[in-house]
Amino acid sequence: MPGVNNMSLSNMSCSRCGEGFEPHEKIVNSTGDLWHTQCFVCAQCFRPFPDGTFYEFEGRKYCEHDFHVLFAPCCGKCGDFVIGRVIKAMNSNWHPNCFRCESCNKELAELGFVRHNGQALCHECRAFARASGDRKYSCYKCHGIIDDKPLRFRGEVYHPYHFNCTACGVELNSDAREVKSRPGYTANDLNELYCLRCHDKMGVPICGACRRPIEERVVTALGKNWHVEHFVCAKCEKPFYGHRHYEKRGLAYCETHYHQLFGNLCFVCNQVISGDVFTAMNKAWCVHHFACSICDQKMNQKTKFYELDLKPVCKKCHDKLPQELKRRLRKSAELAPKSATVA
Amino acid sequence: MDNAPVSCLPTNQRMSKAKKVIDEAREIQNPELDLCDKGIASFDEMPGLFNMLNITRLTLTHNKLKSVPPGLANLSNLEILNLFNNSLEELPTSLSSLPKLRILNLGMNRLFSLPRGFGAFPALEVLDLTYNNLDENSLPGNFYMLETLRALYLGDNDFEYLQPEIKQLKNLQILVLRDNDLIELPKEIGELTRLRELHVQANRLTLLPPEIGNLDFSGDKSELKLHLNEWVTPIQDQLQTGIPRLMDYIRSETYRYLYNRQVALKNPPPPKIDKTKKISRVKA
Repeated sequence: MPGVNNMSLSNMSCSRCGEGFEPHEKIVNSTGDLWHTQCFVCAQCFRPFPDGTFYEFEGRKYCEHDFHVLFAPCCGKCGDFVIGRVIKAMNSNWHPNCFRCESCNKELAELGFVRHNGQALCHECRAFARASGDRKYSCYKCHGIIDDKPLRFRGEVYHPYHFNCTACGVELNSDAREVKSRPGYTANDLNELYCLRCHDKMGVPICGACRRPIEERVVTALGKNWHVEHFVCAKCEKPFYGHRHYEKRGLAYCETHYHQLFGNLCFVCNQVISGDVFTAMNKAWCVHHFACSICDQKMNQKTKFYELDLKPVCKKCHDKLPQELKRRLRKSAELAPKSATVA
Repeated sequence: MDNAPVSCLPTNQRMSKAKKVIDEAREIQNPELDLCDKGIASFDEMPGLFNMLNITRLTLTHNKLKSVPPGLANLSNLEILNLFNNSLEELPTSLSSLPKLRILNLGMNRLFSLPRGFGAFPALEVLDLTYNNLDENSLPGNFYMLETLRALYLGDNDFEYLQPEIKQLKNLQILVLRDNDLIELPKEIGELTRLRELHVQANRLTLLPPEIGNLDFSGDKSELKLHLNEWVTPIQDQLQTGIPRLMDYIRSETYRYLYNRQVALKNPPPPKIDKTKKISRVKA
């Protein structure tokens, strides 16, 4: 080499050991650097490079074997080193002819692929899978297909048997419940899984309508807990959303339907009674209209009143009724079947 | 009229009493006028009353009014008119033109009849005629045109029959005929589907029309008062066991058969009840 001849031997040193060269000693020259023949070896196994082939990585030279072992990508399918073109897809490396559609086995390197339930599919197979309604999930942990019901946890689906109950440690099935540790928060990193038994014992309120746990706002009424949107009028089934409801025989009704069904119309004004209600003698009155039916004087819950034809009569007016009428009414009340209202 | 001069002084006192209430109400624009038990014998004692067009309620209970002048119909905003316990023997025809009147209480008066056109009230909901001297012949022809009526109180009157036209009162929820002279009920009563209170105790009834079985008195706001009548034995027996059992019996074929046979027998009705002690009988 002309460069070598032009250099004085005393100026030259080995790139590996830094020592000089003996006159007439064989020198290895590679891309401008010089080595003793015994120094030009693999940085990993210190053996000469077979056939003089070496691979360089971060300034060091490795034999093919060690380079592959240390740095080269392995194919996600056959496990061999990938030399030449590497397909990076689905969180792995692939030989171009190893990366194939998992359904029709077509090479995907040139066609492109779509991820479908954790599988790489060609566009046609993916369209087919979607059209055929194939809704099977693949487990986020083992990537296997989930044949039975999946377990949803922190936004992914899993085989339930990968998990154990946070409380009792039993292996879970698909009935397991994900419990949000901070209700209402969308961040679900803190969510935990419990078996149904433990979950029910944790005091999470259960909705009286859908029998599912309530993780957001709870409505307490009729001695039960309800999802806000499940606490509805027994007649029209519209949620109350915090509006006033009326209870009757263990059911809740909106104002309109309560009055429609149970007739809580004021006997005097015939209007729906909003606010306090006086009920007596099969009738209802709003506060403003509860009065003696004879003299129209207002009464309250403390006013003593008598009954005449199932209408309220104040004491003053009752005293003014003719003696013969009072006598007849008294006699009639005595002879009435006991279910009848007594004055 | 002998006592007119004698009562001159107290009448004046009373007049001022009623006038005071009216003046007060006018001053504060109170639409509800309470003139209960003021000893008022005539509307003349309440000057200016018919000009108070804003009033919605007029209560004249426990007074001595003998008549109502036609001018009362001026009070076009009146919703409640209460004339209970007066001495009214007749009413003006104009009364039924009150456009907003919903509740009319004429109980405990001396009415032997209602004026012509009485059924023309456009909005009447509650009519109380308790303790008068009315019977089926004293109701005017258009009486059953009161379609808005939801309660009709006719207790302590002299009805022997109820006209089949009762079925026109299709909003009726309450019908009281306590202490009358009823001999039978019309089968049309079964068409009053909204009826939830029926008081026919203390009459002369022997049979119930089977059609009454169409009605539902089983609700907790319902009342069917039947006692103190001359019921045929099977009805009397069922009545002892309660209204639900009685209604089941009325709806049965057995009863329908019995009813038809009893009607065919044309038994004389039970005797009238003595009512001479009623104060409504007393003529002034």
